[in-house]
Amino acid sequence: MPEKTTTQHGASAATLGAGEKFSAYFRNHQMVAVESLAKLLSTPASSLLTWLVIAIALTLPGALYMAVNNLQQLSGHFEASGQMTVFLATDIRETDTNALRLKLGSLDQVNKVVYVSPEQALEEFKEYGGISEALSFLDENPLPAVLLVEPPLGIDKDELNVLVAQIKSFKHVDSVQVDMAWVERLLALLALAQRLVAVVGVLLALAIMLVVGNTIRLSIAARTEEIRVIKLVGGTNAYVRRPFLYTGFWYGAIGGILAWLMLGLCWILLQGPVADIAALYGADFYLQPLPFTPTCWLISSAALLGLLGSWWSVQRHLVAIEP
Amino acid sequence: MVRFDRVSKRYSSGKEALSGVSFELEHGEMAFLTGHSGAGKSTLLKLMMRMEVPTRGEVVVDGSNLSRLREGLVPYHRRKVGVVFQNHQLLFDRSVFENVALPLLIAGTSLKETGRRVRAALDKVGLLGKEKLNPIQLSGGEQQRIGIARAVVNKPALLIADEPTGNLDPELSAEIMNLFSHFQQVGVTVLIATHDIALVERMNKRRLILQNGQMIAGQDFNSGAAHA
Ligand SMILES: Nc1ncnc2c1ncn2[C@@H]1O[C@H](COP(=O)(O)OP(=O)(O)OP(=O)(O)O)[C@@H](O)[C@H]1O
Ligand SMILES: [Mg+2]
Repeated sequence: MPEKTTTQHGASAATLGAGEKFSAYFRNHQMVAVESLAKLLSTPASSLLTWLVIAIALTLPGALYMAVNNLQQLSGHFEASGQMTVFLATDIRETDTNALRLKLGSLDQVNKVVYVSPEQALEEFKEYGGISEALSFLDENPLPAVLLVEPPLGIDKDELNVLVAQIKSFKHVDSVQVDMAWVERLLALLALAQRLVAVVGVLLALAIMLVVGNTIRLSIAARTEEIRVIKLVGGTNAYVRRPFLYTGFWYGAIGGILAWLMLGLCWILLQGPVADIAALYGADFYLQPLPFTPTCWLISSAALLGLLGSWWSVQRHLVAIEP
Repeated sequence: MVRFDRVSKRYSSGKEALSGVSFELEHGEMAFLTGHSGAGKSTLLKLMMRMEVPTRGEVVVDGSNLSRLREGLVPYHRRKVGVVFQNHQLLFDRSVFENVALPLLIAGTSLKETGRRVRAALDKVGLLGKEKLNPIQLSGGEQQRIGIARAVVNKPALLIADEPTGNLDPELSAEIMNLFSHFQQVGVTVLIATHDIALVERMNKRRLILQNGQMIAGQDFNSGAAHA
């Protein structure tokens, strides 16, 4: 078939121009990408199993992330209010109370001041069953008068602290309590939950790599003979590796998309009940779905994990196969 | 084209498969490699493909010293050599066409050129009409010829074959050997390891004979040809 001894082999790979070589390389990538996906789709049962494992492994930290994200927004709601209760000295006179009330109301950082007399406080208390009987044993009302002070919405923490210190310094003020304790506790819990998301995420990322790596190992084993032949007729390691890397990539990417769909399903299922609960508490709150950027992160990191898992497997098993 | 210089090969098992083998093949030459079973024929061919590396000595194929060839360049060396081995041969999960096209696919040949060359190669081995079939649907002799088509599709300068007529009947064997001498006639260097002494004698080509890892005849270019 070849015409001349000295140049015949040159006609194949060696004389391809640089541009031609590049386009051939690109074409091969494209072809392998499509073929490896088609191969996965042609065995839907076994591929789906791997995809579901990956999707579930991703849904778990994804759902945790979504929960934390929502609670953070919820805490933001309350942090902004920063309402405080100013307890007045028990021996305060009515004129002093009024003066203090006006003084507080005139402060820049105060929107509204509501006076609650000891009697009113007692009435409110009596509405709670059990306590009223206990209170009836007391001769006099033990409750102090209270001013409920509401700073403007969106006040930041530092301004709030300054305001509290200022109010504390006023005469006849016994103590000031900012209704923030539970918000702070929630924030601390959220920080913990965030850490948890990270830990669970890392562990499950490892699990995904192992799952993909093992799946790839099996398909390498099933194609040993093919790999030998390809290497025998001059396939480079990169060439042999390519389909397996793309397969790993598809496992990850499609697993990631499935995880996103599962999170969407969770959102659809929970959104209604959460809105109902929020309505019960009179809160203007609804469950946020996973935002766009984290969604991109979810899917691209899944694809990357698939790629890494297959890379790890390929490095270990493929290079050892020689004709 | 091919030069072995005092080549020895000892396998990790301790078995010395080749000891001090030296010979040369000229461009466009065709030679047979014979010897008893276990004499080292397959080992010698594997050294030429860099499937094994010599323990001592040098193997030079088409100007490159295979012992010094960087690992990354080994595939490019293999693309220059057409090879027909008895084991790992055809892939039965793809068509005849795809089997033959494999070396071109790997080398990144354009689709149009691939189609043209595959058909030319299949035509050479007389299987042009069967490109769409699965190799499993073909007879042993036909499968052997697909292997040959795959070996020559990339227009290699050197063609090596390990017992290409292994379990074929004498008529088919002769046909296959004729095919190889056709390739020689268009300038390909051909080396064939075989047990089939009767066939080798009829072909009237140079004959390299191995015995217990030593080359006992044919290493000298002129005497080999004269002997045959
Ligand atoms: N991978 C290997 N590891 C260890 N020993 C080997 C290996 N391959 C071959 N041998 C030994 O080297 C010697 C030469 O083997 P080789 O396969 O080259 O012989 P051969 O001439 O091709 O024989 P046959 O005609 O039976 O194919 C044999 O004794 C064989 O057992
Ligand atoms: Mg042999």
